[in-house]
Amino acid sequence: MSTETVHHTALTLADHLPALQVLVPFIAAPLIVLFGRRGIAWPIALASSATAFAVSILLLSRVIDGSVISYHMGGWEPPLGIEYRVDAANAFVLLLVSAMSTLVLLFARESVEAEVSARHHALFYSAYLLCLSGLLGVAITGDAFNVFVFLEISSLATYVLIAQGSERDKRALTASYDYLIMGTIGATFFVIGIGFLYMATGTLNMADIADRISEQGSNRTIRAGFAFIVVGVGLKVAMYPLHSWLPNAYTYAPSMVTAFLAATATKVAIYVLLRFVFTVFDPGFLFEFNTLGYIILPLAIVAMFAASFIAVFQSDFKRMLAYSSVGQIGYILLGIAMLSQTGLTAAIVHLFNHGITKAALFMAVGAFVLTAKGSFYNDIQGLGRRMPLTSAAVVVGGLSLIGVPGTAGFVSKWLLVEAALENGWWPVALLVVASSLLAVIYVWRVLEVLYMQPTPDGSTVQEAPMSMLAPMWIAALACVYFGLDTDVTLTAAATAAEGLLAGSTGLQ
Amino acid sequence: MLDWLPTAFLFFLGAAILPLLPRGPARAVLLLAIPVIAAAQVYTLPLDDTLVRVTFFGFDLDLMRVDKLSRIFALIFCIAAFLGNLYAWHVKDPVQQVAALLYSGAAIGAVFAGDLITLFFYWEGTAISSVFLIWARRTEGAYFTGMRYLIIQIGSGVILLAGVVLMYVDTGSIAFQHMELGTPATWLIFIAFGMKCAFPLLHNWLQDAYPAATVTGTVILSAFTTKLAVYSLARGFAGTEILIYIGAIMTLFPIFYAVIENDLRRVLAYSLNNQLGFMVVGVGIGTELALNGTASHAFAHILYKALLFMSVGAVLFRTGTAKGSELGGLYKTMPLTMIFCVIGAASISAFPLFSGFVTKSLILSAAAHEHYYIIWGILLFASAGVFHHSGIKIPYFAFFAHDSGKRPKEAPWHMLWAMGLASFLCIAVGVYPAPLYALLPFEVDYQPYTTTHVITQLQLLFFSALAFTVLMRTGIYPPELKSVNLDFDWTYRRFLPRLIEAIGKPIGAAMQAWSDMMRDGLHAMIIRLYHSYGPQGRISQFWPTGTMVLWIGILLGVTLVVNYVS
Amino acid sequence: MANNKPDNPDKFPALGRALLWVEKPGGVEKIVYTLYAVCAGLFVADFLYHKHSYLAIEDFPGFYALYGFFMCAALVICAKGMRLFLKRDETYYAPRDVESEPYPEDQLDKVDYDA
Repeated sequence: MSTETVHHTALTLADHLPALQVLVPFIAAPLIVLFGRRGIAWPIALASSATAFAVSILLLSRVIDGSVISYHMGGWEPPLGIEYRVDAANAFVLLLVSAMSTLVLLFARESVEAEVSARHHALFYSAYLLCLSGLLGVAITGDAFNVFVFLEISSLATYVLIAQGSERDKRALTASYDYLIMGTIGATFFVIGIGFLYMATGTLNMADIADRISEQGSNRTIRAGFAFIVVGVGLKVAMYPLHSWLPNAYTYAPSMVTAFLAATATKVAIYVLLRFVFTVFDPGFLFEFNTLGYIILPLAIVAMFAASFIAVFQSDFKRMLAYSSVGQIGYILLGIAMLSQTGLTAAIVHLFNHGITKAALFMAVGAFVLTAKGSFYNDIQGLGRRMPLTSAAVVVGGLSLIGVPGTAGFVSKWLLVEAALENGWWPVALLVVASSLLAVIYVWRVLEVLYMQPTPDGSTVQEAPMSMLAPMWIAALACVYFGLDTDVTLTAAATAAEGLLAGSTGLQ
Repeated sequence: MLDWLPTAFLFFLGAAILPLLPRGPARAVLLLAIPVIAAAQVYTLPLDDTLVRVTFFGFDLDLMRVDKLSRIFALIFCIAAFLGNLYAWHVKDPVQQVAALLYSGAAIGAVFAGDLITLFFYWEGTAISSVFLIWARRTEGAYFTGMRYLIIQIGSGVILLAGVVLMYVDTGSIAFQHMELGTPATWLIFIAFGMKCAFPLLHNWLQDAYPAATVTGTVILSAFTTKLAVYSLARGFAGTEILIYIGAIMTLFPIFYAVIENDLRRVLAYSLNNQLGFMVVGVGIGTELALNGTASHAFAHILYKALLFMSVGAVLFRTGTAKGSELGGLYKTMPLTMIFCVIGAASISAFPLFSGFVTKSLILSAAAHEHYYIIWGILLFASAGVFHHSGIKIPYFAFFAHDSGKRPKEAPWHMLWAMGLASFLCIAVGVYPAPLYALLPFEVDYQPYTTTHVITQLQLLFFSALAFTVLMRTGIYPPELKSVNLDFDWTYRRFLPRLIEAIGKPIGAAMQAWSDMMRDGLHAMIIRLYHSYGPQGRISQFWPTGTMVLWIGILLGVTLVVNYVS
Repeated sequence: MANNKPDNPDKFPALGRALLWVEKPGGVEKIVYTLYAVCAGLFVADFLYHKHSYLAIEDFPGFYALYGFFMCAALVICAKGMRLFLKRDETYYAPRDVESEPYPEDQLDKVDYDA
């Protein structure tokens, strides 16, 4: 599609991959609305997401050696034009987002049938694709303002998607509204921060901003910009204590939306944080060092414990997972706050591993909601025997969430502990281990409900359909696979971390 | 034979196949075949430190370190698995069958582990698989007991992992070799081993859990976990002097408890702890003679301890109880079980011609050789004591004593065969110890059957029996009573919960009051904010928007301050 | 399974029947006196051979015999004393303990000898 818009040079389709990455779902979204038939909406969504997935694989394979692809939108040279820039870090995020989206779409059909009213289906998938293209756009673009635009596209679509949960529970509307207010404030802070940067540097291209900042050093405008960006993105990341939109949004959204958001949305926000903290600003600045050390680090540790504690006391599986997500984001932020190669690698790997883990678990929740009509512990008690495959997926996902050796979760926690020890942060390493014990407790509670409690009399619950089990198990097996074969994730994450730590020079 | 396949995987393979087979004999045969194949493999393996090496996460993991020390432990584990599975022929519960295979496989895997990471994996493997043998009893008490067991076993694994990580940071090596106590890393590893080995004050999981397992589960449990810990100590901490004193205390205090304990399976658990003490002393002395003693005693111990647990288990299986106060007079209708029990008792008591005699004496001689005379005296006392409670008390109260009126049928054929085989091995080792000695890690230059040794041992044992007789006939001997005896586990089963409750209540109340106050204050503030800024204040009472906006403000302020100050 | 039926020793296993003498009057005495005799014999034996010893104390005649006897007596008396402090009711830890619960019947195979 984009080949038609670019005439001035003879580029092959392969050279347009960065544009295709975003444009395919972006154009498919209105197509669904134009056709307006709900039967065709899902296939189109799936096809475009799968295309985006294929594109992201190609992109990652090109940059995994550390090289960088720079694509000029419409042929306009940066800094005037918008630049798409793919390196190992965002190619990795692109892969995660498009892969999870495809997986979740495979899963979605039955789940959406059950949870979203039929007349909204076409619009629902359309909003979903907009959300997807927004997230992909955030990850791929090299233009600071463009990040904001895509962030808003994905956010607006997200509000719509969450509100679709109102078919099942009217509180979805309030949750969505709540997130809308919060998200808008966050986005506003972010755009204010970018405004400060523009004021200080006169450019919006990230590489350019980075250059100028490193030339002129820090000043008050840049510092203020940094503070606004960190807090604004921190809200999108659900950094503790800016997390409180997340549990409600995840709990009341339709299951497939939750699975998708949990696996991707906060992860993309973290990517933005990484991009700004490490590439646009120079981590060598003292103010940045202090922000990470005195604000992000303690908040990350508080999140690890506080959110996990709350998760322990939940009585709804879905809500428990939502709080667990807040805690897991704490681990990722902790890795970032360590400001070291290993720490950053740990953060990026955990970003990926936690994505697939939560995808598997939330898909299981979707299966429970479909068959048992709810995800409260008393809805799902004793289902271990009636839904053996779904429950077994919960076991695998749960183990990965705890970080049991042999699962993906272990790899990232191990790296995190290693990074903490490398920095000589003994207490932090111990805290990581200690907080994992909390994960043991909240996962154990679910397993106990599933396997050790009796099924209520007269229950007629059946195993979920194959179309849900297959993607769920792909994600669950991925948890195991990436726990055993760590080559792909570790190489990609290490390259990404290296690129990020190289600071603004990494953009050259 | 099968050099490329880690022995543990044989068991895991079996565990994977088992549920696919039809219930009944096919599964039982598989359960017996796996240990036989494994034993044949172990016996024919070449001695090689790096037989199977895999790379994981950038580490070289040695899954098969075959040397004489690991081989003898692996062999006896295979034998124990065979005997335990034969004894459990009648069990139809696939959970127990799979757990038994995984558990014995993990224990053998751990013995062959050449590095600490592999060891850690199998260490946790034994913990997780074995708890199902307790839960398989399927009662409330067994559930809680299993939980306590699991927490302690997993705790041991976590401590081990912490030690391994520190070790790696300190030395850059993950090899599982001899260590010197001194660094935090080695201490952590030492404590992890000690927990599984039931060191004094870390021991209660053993007496707590083993009597709670199923009839057959206890037999399996008794063989692996603690002996794996002994092996690990022998591998990592041979010659560590503190072990001598720990071991001596271990031989000592359980025998007091064993005398007054009513549940015969718990009596055996206490005496198991006491026997471990002998092995730990051997490891602590650390000479070739002492390590030979530890290895051979572990070998003999697994056999006679399994035999004793089997005989008491058979009684439980037929009568529904294993309590001394409920039993008695069973010799009339279960004479074979009684004879096997007596053989086990004679072996653990180290009667000449029985297995304990030719193995325990190695450790006692080593203690005397190295001039640990007080230790030697304690071990001698413990030897007499073990005869007293395991050798006499178990057979006496189960099969003789006052007639309980119970007239159960003789144990089923497979239990008799399992006990018979174990008895045969106990006697064979006692009568002809040369093949066992040949398997030991070091050259053996020891003659157990000297006039002095035989006569002094008989004096010790018969006069202990005399003491028992005299006390029994004078009525001084404490009768078997239905009771629970407090042990160190009281601290965490009673004292700590009470303490936490006592401390927690006022603190909880204070915290509650404080958080109520904070919440009320915050609410009031938010309500004021909303009253002045908008009509939607009512929502914020139940939804977090207001609080979050406040937090954003605070966080932005703090960030700005940090940025400006630095 | 306390048996309410009258015992039928003829149906006991042969081995069990052969051992019934221990319950007959004087049966226990026979065992006890045999034990006394064996003990006396072993004590005397100490004077009849050359002892290989590591320690001086081992050479003391009947050292092992006396050590075994007195230590065991002390062991039992100490243990009996410990009961004063440590003994609790069987339901002390209930219900979080197996001590007070019956073994589940379905996992047992209780059969009478003459069934």
